[in-house]
Amino acid sequence: MYGWIWRKLPGPLGVRITLATVLALGVIALLLFVVFPWLEPKLWFNNVTTEQ
Amino acid sequence: MGTHEGDYDSGRLYGDLQDGPPQAGDRARNVVRNLGELLITAGMIVLLFVVYELYITDLFSAGKQREATAALDDEWQHQPGADVVEGGERTNKIELEDGKGFAKLYIPKFGADFHFTVLEGTSDKTLESGPGHYKGTALPGEHGNFAIAGHRVGKGAPFNDLDLLKSCDAVVIETSTSWFTYRMLPVESEARRWESVKTKSPRCERVNKLGAEYNKVYGRDIVAPSQGGVISPVPYATPGTKPGVALLTLTTCHPKFSDEQRLIVHLVLTDQEAKNPAAPNQLPAALSEND
Repeated sequence: MYGWIWRKLPGPLGVRITLATVLALGVIALLLFVVFPWLEPKLWFNNVTTEQ
Repeated sequence: MGTHEGDYDSGRLYGDLQDGPPQAGDRARNVVRNLGELLITAGMIVLLFVVYELYITDLFSAGKQREATAALDDEWQHQPGADVVEGGERTNKIELEDGKGFAKLYIPKFGADFHFTVLEGTSDKTLESGPGHYKGTALPGEHGNFAIAGHRVGKGAPFNDLDLLKSCDAVVIETSTSWFTYRMLPVESEARRWESVKTKSPRCERVNKLGAEYNKVYGRDIVAPSQGGVISPVPYATPGTKPGVALLTLTTCHPKFSDEQRLIVHLVLTDQEAKNPAAPNQLPAALSEND
């Protein structure tokens, strides 16, 4: 999977490393700012209130 | 992942493949490799989620809490209304608006910098900004039960160390015009011989045994999440029992990282003083108890 992505990246080694870093950071940002905030309320371990 | 440099541009599949047509074993190797990469990726994502829960949510919440505090400070500066509580009856209602701050909470034991703006409501969204007031429960200083929920882990974790509070430790609530000092009630093991235990600390001076209707109320309790009775005007009592004192109840999850149970801390109002507009730096004595 990662080998395939690496081979798809264009340009010389320096450009590829930069692109790969940008891609990785993009995925992390997507997870932190979009996926996790959406996922979190659906999980069970964050309740602090009692039933009213 | 290819390792042999120079192979990338030659159109080969992987660096470790030999020359010649693909073998039957290559396919299997490929599948296993991809599966491995997927599993490692999944593991990294789970780890990243843990980092998110423990640290990143703190950052988000700190920003929201700052905003709530700034909004409250602004409001207090511009409309210092009368906020008088006499005999447990509030003569002037605090304006409550969903998700908006209306009071500040200090726990001197957790350090001079421990203060949070308390917001109205206990929805997930509100609790991300700070501790939330259970709607419909009493307001600061009122007879009944001023009940607040807060996160224990992540999201600012206001109530992370709630289990460290001991009987007679203070929680101070600030409203636009008053200071209210609540002190933790005796825990179950102390309750029976409270009259002798309380003499050990001057802080306990005004923490008295409550009436018979409060006989199940201890300073610290761990209950099932379904125990809504902890935030009743008289906790655990039959509905309709008239409250004789002003309590403060803090709830959070227990044990840490779980929502199996709830940690409950009950406190009783021991002091209240009106803010002096002429001397805004005059703070209640309890605020300097930092041990």
